[in-house]
Amino acid sequence: MSERTTQGSASSGSLGDSLAGGWDDRGDELPPADWGKRPGSRRTGTVWLFALIITAMAFGHAWLSDELTGQAFLAWATIFTAISFQAMPFLVFGVALSAALVAFVPTSVYRRFIPEKASRAVPVAGASGALLPGCECASVPIAGSLIKRGVAPAAALTFLLAAPSINPIVMIATAVAFAGQPEMVLARFVASLLASVVIGWIWVRFGRTDWLRLPSRTHTPGASQWQVFRESMLHDIMHAGGYLVVGALAAATLNVMVPRAWLLAVAEAPIISVLVLALLAILLSICSEADAFVAVSLTDFSPTAKLAFMVIGPIVDLKLIAMQAGVFGWRFVARFAPLCLVVGLLSTFLIGALIL
Amino acid sequence: MNRIAQGLTLVLLGAAALTSTVPTDLYLNWVKAGFGPFLIAAGIVMVGLGVLVIVAEVRGERGALDEEEVTPETAAAANATADASVHGADPVGDHGDGHDDDDGHGHDHARAPRVAWLLLLPVVAVFVVAPPALGSYTVESTGGSSGPPPRDDRGASRFNDALSEAGPGDVVPLGIQEFVMRAWIDDEREMADREIELTGFAVPTEDGDGWYLARLQMACCAADAVVNKVLITDQPAPEADSWWTVRGTWVEPEGDLYDVSEHEFATLQMDEVTNPPDPYE
Repeated sequence: MSERTTQGSASSGSLGDSLAGGWDDRGDELPPADWGKRPGSRRTGTVWLFALIITAMAFGHAWLSDELTGQAFLAWATIFTAISFQAMPFLVFGVALSAALVAFVPTSVYRRFIPEKASRAVPVAGASGALLPGCECASVPIAGSLIKRGVAPAAALTFLLAAPSINPIVMIATAVAFAGQPEMVLARFVASLLASVVIGWIWVRFGRTDWLRLPSRTHTPGASQWQVFRESMLHDIMHAGGYLVVGALAAATLNVMVPRAWLLAVAEAPIISVLVLALLAILLSICSEADAFVAVSLTDFSPTAKLAFMVIGPIVDLKLIAMQAGVFGWRFVARFAPLCLVVGLLSTFLIGALIL
Repeated sequence: MNRIAQGLTLVLLGAAALTSTVPTDLYLNWVKAGFGPFLIAAGIVMVGLGVLVIVAEVRGERGALDEEEVTPETAAAANATADASVHGADPVGDHGDGHDDDDGHGHDHARAPRVAWLLLLPVVAVFVVAPPALGSYTVESTGGSSGPPPRDDRGASRFNDALSEAGPGDVVPLGIQEFVMRAWIDDEREMADREIELTGFAVPTEDGDGWYLARLQMACCAADAVVNKVLITDQPAPEADSWWTVRGTWVEPEGDLYDVSEHEFATLQMDEVTNPPDPYE
């Protein structure tokens, strides 16, 4: 009897509460300890967090925008935004293409076009790099999905290096920038292709598969191709995109902090000037489709040094290192980036001596 | 980062790309005008993808992919050089900071690494900072010009600017880059005694002796901007970063053009420009 009374009062109380208070009480009525971890409440928390971020941005827009007048800060912010926005279309479409490779192209297609033996697949991959227009931001996720579809890692890595270095848009940009110096375009093509293929072969011989970290994906039974497409695109944007921002931050900082006057001081020294421009290419992280215009403006440097700038830039730079770390892991980058740098430089010196 | 957060981040990022291209011309401060359509398309794709992800998550759909950290060896049997001794080594043993979020718990495939939060930085940059075009600060900190372009001997035909077509008495509008190029390598000195019109922003000189009319040349984005400037000494220096259209003549130097370090311009008239169309050339 007493039990009934309690129940009655409790239910009437909760009726009134539910009319007035709504959601807040439900947490008390359903107290299991793991409730807080249910996706539902996490989601609510996330939505609140974003509402807070958006409100903060609105206030920042209203009050802070006019206060930010530091010249160096604004120049830094401009360059950071510029690198991010310039890379964004390439990232999005590279990611869409790589997701399409995963979702819609059956594995058998790769087997037909790419030789089974890794050492023969490498030159094929290098040459096919000349076909895909895009810059390095697009090629990192594509290379990742090629490996997932069973292409030999060495061949996919060669493609990763060759695609941003020798694609038609880059070659045309180089020809426009170096008008009247066709030997520069030829030297860039040969040196970049040589470096990509040699790095691929070195990876065939010495590369170890446990250096590469890739999520292998098994499709949930019943998932449609479009769901697979959506999920791989989301995954790749989140991984490559986050690291792209890291690279853009680093490159913008160096761009503002390293005065170009320091560079001119070393322009005369024959070998050091080549190394300096290679280092500059790594630090500035300029898109491969634009680097020729920057190279041509570094007029105090020798042709070989400019070639180094254009060969190294698309295969090793801060932005690329960060993105590769996001897709393949740091253990991979710690070995791959120095290898690219050394082979790229050797190839530059060789081709520079032969052609320029 | 859970899936709702990923979806919302994508929506915000897409919104930033669309805001800076469609209702405003902010993007011209950062990238070439040719990027406009691509940025719009990328923005639409990101907003669309973000909305799809959020909708799927709210409906309680399971992610379509299950992921597990493995070496590519299991995914790609094609690698001929697989070293048997390392097979089975712990593939998740060696990771740097910042992305431990996506490792270790194989079932939780829907989460993105912590570094993905950084994707909100460009959003903040656009909506809060709204970075302006590079200006006098960049010109000053870049210091001296980069030096003349390589000599070639194609003669006057290599110039493709307004001067090649203009009649003898016309005022010729030139880009500052075109002017500097001719001042450096046009051995026929076609610019001599011609009335030329240049547009750019004012930059004070270090020693206060005269000022520069400068403009940045951009191939792709602001990170590759190159400075071009002309020296003006016969007018008082206007406020830094104000825009001017200056009519005048080239001050012809003595001797070899190639040895000139600064190109001087004698003014006839200058008008302030209130709203320059594209800050770069």
